[in-house]
Amino acid sequence: MNANSQKIRLGLFVIIGTLLFVLGIYLIGQKQNMFKRTFMISAEFQNVNGLQKGNNVRYSGINIGTVRAIEMVNDSIVKVEMNIQENIVKHIRKNAVATIGSDGLVGNMIINILPRDGMAGVIENGDMIKSFSKVEPDDLLSNLSVTIKNTEILTEDLLKITNAINNGQGTLATVLNDTVMSSDLKQTIKTLKEVSVNASNTLLEFNGLVKSIKTDDASILGLLLNDTVSGNKLKMILQTIETSSVKMENSVEKINTIIENVNTSDGAFNYVIKDTSLVNSLKSTLKNVNEGTDKFNQNMEALKHNFLTRGYFRKLNKEERKAKEN
Amino acid sequence: MSGISNIKSHIQTFLKEIGELSYFTARFFKETFRKPFEFKEFLRQCYSMGNRSLVLVGITGFIIGLVLTLQTRPTLMEFGAVSWMPSMVGISLIREIGPMITALVCAGRIGSGIGAELGSMRVTEQIDAMEVSGTNPFKYLVVTRVLATTFMIPLLVIIGDAIGLYGSYLVEHLKGDVSFQLYFNQVFESLEFGDIIPATIKSFFFGLAIGLVGCFKGYYCGKGTAGVGRAANSAVVFTSLLLFIIDFIAVFAADIFYDL
Repeated sequence: MNANSQKIRLGLFVIIGTLLFVLGIYLIGQKQNMFKRTFMISAEFQNVNGLQKGNNVRYSGINIGTVRAIEMVNDSIVKVEMNIQENIVKHIRKNAVATIGSDGLVGNMIINILPRDGMAGVIENGDMIKSFSKVEPDDLLSNLSVTIKNTEILTEDLLKITNAINNGQGTLATVLNDTVMSSDLKQTIKTLKEVSVNASNTLLEFNGLVKSIKTDDASILGLLLNDTVSGNKLKMILQTIETSSVKMENSVEKINTIIENVNTSDGAFNYVIKDTSLVNSLKSTLKNVNEGTDKFNQNMEALKHNFLTRGYFRKLNKEERKAKEN
Repeated sequence: MSGISNIKSHIQTFLKEIGELSYFTARFFKETFRKPFEFKEFLRQCYSMGNRSLVLVGITGFIIGLVLTLQTRPTLMEFGAVSWMPSMVGISLIREIGPMITALVCAGRIGSGIGAELGSMRVTEQIDAMEVSGTNPFKYLVVTRVLATTFMIPLLVIIGDAIGLYGSYLVEHLKGDVSFQLYFNQVFESLEFGDIIPATIKSFFFGLAIGLVGCFKGYYCGKGTAGVGRAANSAVVFTSLLLFIIDFIAVFAADIFYDL
């Protein structure tokens, strides 16, 4: 066989073998996010339930990374660091919660990152998110054992009660066994039934009454309930009464103030009201004025008959007569 | 008394052989890095051992993948875990079955071939003639062959694994209607570097063992045609035994380093 052909075939064989090996390495590395830029985030748990380095991290059911490291922080807290694909980080919010679950019934442990409602910023490199521990099968079993114990106690008590009833002890046994009481109970129930029928009828009547009030516009209540114009008018009247009462109250207050001022001040009005001597003086003054006026009238009459002024008065009478005629 | 002395002589022969093989191995490493390099002969041996074993390894790998899937399928179906088939076959083939089956097939084909070839050269005094003519027969015959097996066996293992996985996929596709992409996604989803790297390193040692034992048996072959036959036969037997011992050590070492 040609040496060149041998070399070509050998080269092909070597290349195919190497390519398959590199492809295998690449696919495994890609699964562990070795050839992608990754972000690191962490979460703290009390129990990681056998989680291991390299286990998958899922966000809404999609594989987005792997567990990078697991370390004990103190005696009860375990810190889990995760490598997350960079292109997914923009979808994860700071309020997301990490839980540890298993991939199927007997599968590997995984970390599920669950989104939460509400506004929160996008997660950043090195951030720590909250964690949530699910109920473990051990906890469930221990709870179940408590429940079973309680059920056992309940069953025992129930057995005692049923035995007592069967033996005729206690009120319940009397209720169950006494025939007179049963007839009384029947009668009571019958009466209750009648009462309920009567109550029902009364209610029906009351409903009818209310209905008629609502629908009958002729009655005052109906008018008030149904006529909006009358209602508005009544409302306005009431408002006006209210305003008037307020004004009246103000006026009364002012009058009271004035009266008080009058009583307390040294003004002329107060002097006029209270000083009796002034009243007497005023009386005598008025008397004098009256007398003066009478005497003035007499003087004027005398003037009319005087020869010096008689012509003037006649002239006045003539002008008055002319004005009446026109 | 003769029985005890018989056992004693057997033990002595075995220890002598181990000692000679150790010297032979040391000489191989010494000659490998010493000039001149027989590169042309190395390539010829690579072609002869690699390319010419490809069909055999391919068929074996394909059948192993096929049979493994067919045999495991009913049990997995009983547990409702057929979806785990790619993971199971992938891990089994790549970690153990692929390298081991390929190495055993090559031990039969290549190991016996080397043993018979070098044995016949020894019997027909061609090796002595080479020494006389000034050519280093160890370098030309042994180093090239051992290097060729050391580099070709891992490649054969990788190709054998790939063909085996394809055989398994065919069964799953025909019986379970699984797509190519889903099958190989699941295979690589379950694989770790701790599966593929130790298996590949192990394959190099398998190749080294096949080449060394084959060459050793042929190079120090007994006289006559019977000696050639014995050389070829014992090369296969001894190599197979050595392969299992190397496998055990490799798994043990991988267990320590990769925490399997």
